[in-house]
Amino acid sequence: MENALLIGLSRQTALGRELDVIANNVANVNTNGFKAREARFREYLMPTARADAFPQADQQLSYVIDAGTPLDLSAGSIEMTNNPLNAAIRGDAFFAVQTPAGERYTRNGAFEIDGQGRLVTSDGHLVLGQSGPITIGTQEMNVSIAPDGAVLTSQGERGRIRLVRFNAPQALNNVGANLFASTEAAQAAPEARVQPGAIERSNVKPVLEMSRLMDVSRSYQSIASMISKMDELRRSAIQRLADANA
Amino acid sequence: MRALHTAATGMMAQELNVQVISNNIANLRTTGFKRQQAHFQDLLYENFRRAGSTTSDQGTQVPAGIEVGSGVKTSGTARVMIQGNLTSTEKEYDVAIRGDGFFRIRMPDGRTAYTRDGSFDLDSQGQLVTRDGYLVDPGITVPQNAKGVSVAANGTVQATIPGQTQPQVLGQIQLARFINKSGLESMGDNLFAETSASGPAIDGNPGSEGFGNLQQNYLEEANVNAVTEISSLISAQRAYEMNARIITAADQMLSATTQMFRG
Repeated sequence: MENALLIGLSRQTALGRELDVIANNVANVNTNGFKAREARFREYLMPTARADAFPQADQQLSYVIDAGTPLDLSAGSIEMTNNPLNAAIRGDAFFAVQTPAGERYTRNGAFEIDGQGRLVTSDGHLVLGQSGPITIGTQEMNVSIAPDGAVLTSQGERGRIRLVRFNAPQALNNVGANLFASTEAAQAAPEARVQPGAIERSNVKPVLEMSRLMDVSRSYQSIASMISKMDELRRSAIQRLADANA
Repeated sequence: MRALHTAATGMMAQELNVQVISNNIANLRTTGFKRQQAHFQDLLYENFRRAGSTTSDQGTQVPAGIEVGSGVKTSGTARVMIQGNLTSTEKEYDVAIRGDGFFRIRMPDGRTAYTRDGSFDLDSQGQLVTRDGYLVDPGITVPQNAKGVSVAANGTVQATIPGQTQPQVLGQIQLARFINKSGLESMGDNLFAETSASGPAIDGNPGSEGFGNLQQNYLEEANVNAVTEISSLISAQRAYEMNARIITAADQMLSATTQMFRG
């Protein structure tokens, strides 16, 4: 009898998790280079009793459990900013960034130049070129990024932004601040191209998230009402049985 | 419920986004104004099941782990330092910069400020000053009897003095450049201050290597594009509403939980 409550509870826990994932997607609807996550669940079968000598066989119960939150790696929409220091990646590559914690990867191409003339992210982390950080001298002007990632100034090419790809991009970990960490070594992506003067926006699809939100909210309520009916059933059973004994 | 807090960070971020957009729109007609753009980043993630962890003795791995993020934060409101349109004013002390560089302004406290707003005037001593009366650096003094003051593209200021055949050179307007213009600090009144992020100012004459040219009788308009701002405003407003919907949904779920058992 308690099983219905526990199965309902497993579904409610899962729906709570899905709501958290949706909330994070919606909160990042305007975050450059953000990749949405989706909540996936799977069936968890309760192991049944090995002994089958009972008149009534043990019942097979199935719960729901989180399976994973896979990344949606589809491209976000490209917004033209005409800022020469912005670049959007076309294809499945990532920019490589040097952080104090090690090399990290991002799809956010809103770059800037710091006080020492180095190409950095908006957090000041160095953007890695194929031969280390890219530095622009004080006398150079007309900085631009070419479609193959080359950083050009009036003095010629100052370096080429390193574009990388992964064999298993689903294994990337979010570490916040639009960055991903990888356990797998990054592969060079010589065929990758960038769109200069543009930024890749978040790939969160608001309509999809809102319909998921409705689904989560309604499912949660229906489970809640089921649990509350179970509760009533149990309450009236206790009352009736108590009456009969009196 | 984490979703409540996550959606709250989303609402705060969009509120700041609307503030930045409204400031851009408010300064649509501000001379030399450079628009700002808010940039956002995702916050920390909680890892419930790590991708790549082993799931059996055969070495099978979790293809995609469970990572749940906790919202969004603002990473910066960078200024977009692209050229604004030049508009003709036919005022002789209006000067616009075409290209890179800032006018140097001497503040009353002795510091130097930088501006793209070239709507200058003369004070009672004939010195070239901004609309707020701050001196342009290096100082230029126009004699009382001077006529036909001209500012050349390279910054040379000349005037015709009655009784002289040759125009007299009154001074030279200099510009300052920065390696990272977006790193300048906004002081209000169309002025910027140097910071460690902007790098030190590099002074030079207009028209020389790396510097823009001057254009007399013109002013630089704000580089705000009304259409872009309004469409960003709509998207920010919708994003705010969606985050509010998440809070409503989380609230309904919590209230469904509390109403499950009637005691």
